[in-house]
Amino acid sequence: MVATRETVEAVDEAVGKYKYGFSTDIESEKAPKGLNEDTVRFISAKKNEPEWMLEWRLDAFRRWQTMEEPDWAKVNYPKIDYQDAYYYSAPKSDDDRPKSLDEVDPKLLETYEKLGIPLVEQMALAGVAVDAVFDSVSVATTFKERLAEAGVIFCSFSEAVQDHPELVRQYLGTVVPVTDNYFATLNSAVFSDGSFVFVPKGVRCPMELSTYFRINEADTGQFERTLIIVEDGAYVSYLEGCTAPMRDEHQLHAAVVELVCLEDAEIKYSTVQNWYPGDEDGKGGIYNFVTKRGDCRGDNSKISWTQVETGSAVTWKYPSCVLRGDNSVGEFYSIAISNNLQQVDSGTKMIHLGKNTSSRIISKGISAGRSSSTYRGLVSVHKKAEDARNFTQCDSLLIGDRCSAHTVPYIESKNPSAVLEHEATTSKLSEDQLFYCRQRGLDEEEAVALLVNGFCRDVLQQLPMEFAVEAQKLVGISLEGSVG
Amino acid sequence: MSDQALTYLDANSVAAEGPAWLDVRRKAARASFADAGFPHRRVEAWRYTDLSRLVAKTDWHPAVPHDGAVLVPEGRSNPFAGIASHKLVFVNGFFRQDLSELDDLPAGVEILPLEAALERGTKFESAFDANGPEAMAPIAALNTACARDGAVIRLSEGIQLEQPVQLIHYTPDGGATVAHTRNVIELAAGASMTLLEAQIGWGGAYLVDRVTNLNLGERASLTHVRLEDEDIDAVHLSTVLGDVGADASYIANTLAIGGRAGRLQSALHFAGEGAHAESNTAYLLRETQHLDSTIVVDHAVPGCTSGALAKGVLDDEATGVFQGKVIVAPHAQKSDAKQMSNALLLSRDAAMNAKPELEIYADDVQCAHGSTIGELDGDALFYLRSRGIEEQTARQMLISAFLGDVLEQISHEVARDALSERASQWFEADSEGEV
Amino acid sequence: MLEIKDLHASVDGTPILKGISLTIGDGEVHAIMGPNGSGKSTLSNVLAGREDYEITKGSITYKGKDLTELSIEERASAGIFLAFQYPTEIPGVTTMTFLKTAVNAQRKARGEDELDAVKFLKLVREKAKELKVEEDMLKRPLNVGFSGGEKKRAETLQMSLLQPSLAVLDETDSGLDIDALKIVADGVNRLRAPDRSMIVITHYQRLLDYIVPDHVHVLAKGKIIRSGGKELAAELEASGYTDMTESAA
Repeated sequence: MVATRETVEAVDEAVGKYKYGFSTDIESEKAPKGLNEDTVRFISAKKNEPEWMLEWRLDAFRRWQTMEEPDWAKVNYPKIDYQDAYYYSAPKSDDDRPKSLDEVDPKLLETYEKLGIPLVEQMALAGVAVDAVFDSVSVATTFKERLAEAGVIFCSFSEAVQDHPELVRQYLGTVVPVTDNYFATLNSAVFSDGSFVFVPKGVRCPMELSTYFRINEADTGQFERTLIIVEDGAYVSYLEGCTAPMRDEHQLHAAVVELVCLEDAEIKYSTVQNWYPGDEDGKGGIYNFVTKRGDCRGDNSKISWTQVETGSAVTWKYPSCVLRGDNSVGEFYSIAISNNLQQVDSGTKMIHLGKNTSSRIISKGISAGRSSSTYRGLVSVHKKAEDARNFTQCDSLLIGDRCSAHTVPYIESKNPSAVLEHEATTSKLSEDQLFYCRQRGLDEEEAVALLVNGFCRDVLQQLPMEFAVEAQKLVGISLEGSVG
Repeated sequence: MSDQALTYLDANSVAAEGPAWLDVRRKAARASFADAGFPHRRVEAWRYTDLSRLVAKTDWHPAVPHDGAVLVPEGRSNPFAGIASHKLVFVNGFFRQDLSELDDLPAGVEILPLEAALERGTKFESAFDANGPEAMAPIAALNTACARDGAVIRLSEGIQLEQPVQLIHYTPDGGATVAHTRNVIELAAGASMTLLEAQIGWGGAYLVDRVTNLNLGERASLTHVRLEDEDIDAVHLSTVLGDVGADASYIANTLAIGGRAGRLQSALHFAGEGAHAESNTAYLLRETQHLDSTIVVDHAVPGCTSGALAKGVLDDEATGVFQGKVIVAPHAQKSDAKQMSNALLLSRDAAMNAKPELEIYADDVQCAHGSTIGELDGDALFYLRSRGIEEQTARQMLISAFLGDVLEQISHEVARDALSERASQWFEADSEGEV
Repeated sequence: MLEIKDLHASVDGTPILKGISLTIGDGEVHAIMGPNGSGKSTLSNVLAGREDYEITKGSITYKGKDLTELSIEERASAGIFLAFQYPTEIPGVTTMTFLKTAVNAQRKARGEDELDAVKFLKLVREKAKELKVEEDMLKRPLNVGFSGGEKKRAETLQMSLLQPSLAVLDETDSGLDIDALKIVADGVNRLRAPDRSMIVITHYQRLLDYIVPDHVHVLAKGKIIRSGGKELAAELEASGYTDMTESAA
């Protein structure tokens, strides 16, 4: 792994040279506004990170300063002032980290309840472990013992840095290199926290792993960092869901998710993203710049991304698969719903490097209101990817005449034995179908929700049961007010 | 400001010697191209065809008129030669009166070289102002700055031109020469004609750049059949910038087999409701040939239909590119647009890149695009061979069938047969090469 | 049940219905017959409240209320059911999901409790069995890839689940062979009740052999040109529409 070697070298070099003191008061709960080396040091110190982690962050920060924000996506937003944001904040009760849910600040739990997150009982019944991230610090983790028995490590990223530094050092930045893109590099410098999963050889993770993300404090940059490593023959299904309360200020979110999938292993990664999208006039709402990539490093490995994107003012997100191992499989199932003034630019990249690799892309975009939705995807077959296969289906549905839908696929093949098929359609909600449903007594919004759920069925079916129900409801809720 | 562009313009742009309206535009175009430079791969619309690199390190200079006999190599002759037509012939980019046939033009029909039209005092302001979409604007500017001659074809209202018009370009001389030509085609309301265009060259390393401004009035109809067969060392650019009026129709079918590297690009803009446009291209490439077929269709008004189909056969180390873009403007309801790119890779080292885009701002539309890349269907090949057909013949049959969607659609029967024949010759050259 | 007075309606500004008056009592079955283009389907769409059909004159009173003020779904919940001539295909939505959503939407609109999954399933299975609707069909997307007979059986199944007060059967016989027609007609006949009225719209007399009407009306060029008992249908079969429309003109 070239990226790993470079990282390690960079770190080793940096460690010897930089011995600045801290100029920031690390006792405070919040880093001062703005972004400089001291902010990075503050975050690292708050987390009591080892020197190599700090140097990794500083290296990223220095590289980030030389980079420019990308402008190729079909999204418009006011220029982000990176100096006018907070890069670290902890919940009030951080000093005394809770050991169990009983110790969690009841106000936090109340917020979860309001959001309909059945953290206390329902999750237990459903057999789902929760690593809830509130703002930037993990506050609750359950089911650790059961996972530990199976040999699965599921903890916050910060904990992993403390407890499993060798794994973090081995894999961090090997899928999404530090300088991959502007937002990923920013994340590498200031990542707050996130999840770490390690499933050892031959282990089938005994439960779905789930993380709920929240943004709850004004001007708080959220920089989640997630790393999932699944060893030979192992399997994990990971669920990620987000809901954010009402906010007036735009909030920046730049997450990085890295998946490492070794021989015969499988990772299923599902997301329901419902960050605050802003109000009807586009005021408020989250800017969501995400880099998600999975590396099918071993032969016969499989990575499947499923996403339901209904939130955020601006979404910039391309969960991708590098199909390196022979016979590896990459899948991308996506529903992106935009309403009001939301802007979505999302899609995937399938990079076929190994022999007999296959990928499948099913993307369903629904635009309503004055929103804009873009599918942007790359399917690339390299020279040695004998017998590679790709199938892409990309459908857009428009509701109302003030929204827009765009499709920007890049299809590149350098191997004659590869077969690539791409289909795309754009259509509107059928008047006949709406009339039929209403004649049977459904009101217009119910009818739209039903029809859109039908349009998305291929993708909804890919979600784990608990999520599918939530997602179906979300589809209806997201389109409220889009008709009539 | 690009040094490469400046050097090029200094050597090749036209000095201010024409009519005032044109000089103003040439000057502006020169400045604009000098600023933008030759498009390169970091320009999104040119990511697969790096023109800047293609023309780099060559001391380009203007071609000179070729006055003698034009000796067309065997198998490269004008495929439309047998068709009774009005004919404009250009050699090295310069009009050749002696080779053209422009006698007995019916009333209401104007066919002449651009230079002659300018001498008559005709103005083509709107044509020279039309730069097309961003993807094509640099080339339109380059052409405006450098074009010396070209064809002018104008039909008055209601004229149904019986005989086709042939527009034949020969390039017998190379040696880093360039020829920029500008065609202006205007069909007034209700007029119709067939344009047979052939671009044939054997001069070695040269650059040709042809821009055609089309303007179709209401109910006008233009059928455009094109052969692109430039020298295997040549770089060629062909740009069609079209305005299609209400209920008008533009149908283009192209066979492209020549050139070291080329780009066939069309930007079709609907100016009135009920219009229809189609652009279909078949391309056959071998060695290290590169062909880029790019089309932008702008459904600016409601109720128009469009289609784009590209069929590519890529052998050896050839690369093919298809870039399609359908734009449906807000309120352009009832738009119907289809785009399809199919490519066959015949060799281990061939490559294909496709980028079929949709940009939709209206809801009551039917828009679809598709793309396939693969090799010849092994089952079909096996089936044919199991019936006793030789492999080479079986391959040809399948490839001909593959190209049929483009070539068989040509409505002018003789032209259709002529281009199908050219495609067959390509296979024969292929089998000779392999034996 | 229903009173239509001097009803005029247009589609895209073209007048189709030109003064229809019709009174339907509780439990009555009325057949409306007529040639193609006479306005039969327009009448059914106007009753269901389809939005591109504009009422230019006249009134429709349903159970004593002005029907024209109600939205499509309000009419449905008030008991008006339209069996479509060409049931719309809805990909991705299974028949079962659709049935449950529709039944509960109407129950909710009427202030009744929604049926839980178990009760609903029991109800559907029972009704489906009566109409020979295979369980497998309920799992398929609504009307997608259904044969002509399956589509009409699915419509009849919906009718029996939704228990309407006024059912409008639009060309229910189209696309059916005689066996399929019998199954559908049986289903419809089972639903005849003193508090349920029906309008059977058809081009052919054939359907009326199976669903026997109390009254028959002949519609031509947007007007009812003759009304009578069930014998009128037989008369039409013998003489055809041409005579009648010409004599009316």
